[in-house]
Amino acid sequence: MVAPLVKAAVALAGLLAVGRFAFPGALRLARSWPERVAVTGHSMAPRLLPGDWLLVDASGGTPRPVAGELVVVPDPRRSDRLLVKRVSAVERGQLLLRGDAPDASTDSRTFGAVDPGTVLGRPWFRYWPPRRIGRVG
Amino acid sequence: MLDRLMAQLAPRRAVHAHCDIPCGVYDPQQARIEAESCYKIIQKYNDSSDELFRQRCTHVKEERAELTKHHIDVMWHDYFKPEHVEKFPDLHDVCWKASKQASQVKRTADIAEAQKLLDLIDRIDHMWRETGGAEATRMQQLEPVGASGAPKSDSISDSKAAAADAKPA
Repeated sequence: MVAPLVKAAVALAGLLAVGRFAFPGALRLARSWPERVAVTGHSMAPRLLPGDWLLVDASGGTPRPVAGELVVVPDPRRSDRLLVKRVSAVERGQLLLRGDAPDASTDSRTFGAVDPGTVLGRPWFRYWPPRRIGRVG
Repeated sequence: MLDRLMAQLAPRRAVHAHCDIPCGVYDPQQARIEAESCYKIIQKYNDSSDELFRQRCTHVKEERAELTKHHIDVMWHDYFKPEHVEKFPDLHDVCWKASKQASQVKRTADIAEAQKLLDLIDRIDHMWRETGGAEATRMQQLEPVGASGAPKSDSISDSKAAAADAKPA
């Protein structure tokens, strides 16, 4: 019962990607499908909202993230928790992270710069809710 | 069926678009109220000759001073950001002195020390106002408590209060 559902879900998501981005997008989607995350909190509003489901290209810190990119990193103060933030600047090889909504964000201003080696991946596609399906970045 | 599909589609992990206090509510008045308690308790302590009462004063004042320190620290650690330090280069110094002054009030019954603490909190308050203040970090009260006119809130306690107010004099 469960396995066919997974297949159906993957096929559905694949179709969406084919429809929107043609074949390379579908490949990328298939690769990052296991790395799905749900957004909580408001620090990335309005680009990312609580309840958004994202696909994360789990390429780690390579190539090096550049300013402006979204990254998923473990919280430097609590490694069991993942954060999603935007790289605001790269200084001496370290990433300065900021929320898109600075007034509602705890980020590098509080916990300092993070090592690019700790980056787990980059969110690139929102597959839920339906009204907001599309690329993120 | 749909639930199951959704359960399969749902991510396994959360990513936090994180904020220590998601609501972003900060106000130095929280520290000031506790510090005012310390001030008043010290007055009462010095006016009393009842040893038991004085002991209770000491105990409660120490609690309040600790809370004052906590609320100062929340402003310092959580509210103030690097751009605020650029605007007020003595920000760290003021917060540090205020925290230390709260400790000082905890251990003395000297009213002058309590006044110093209030003055330092007022300097934090000034920096908070100049960097956004209540407009940025507090909810706006549409109908301030005690304002004239019919309360519009629909909460039970408020409608009871409204009913009491509506009684003919």
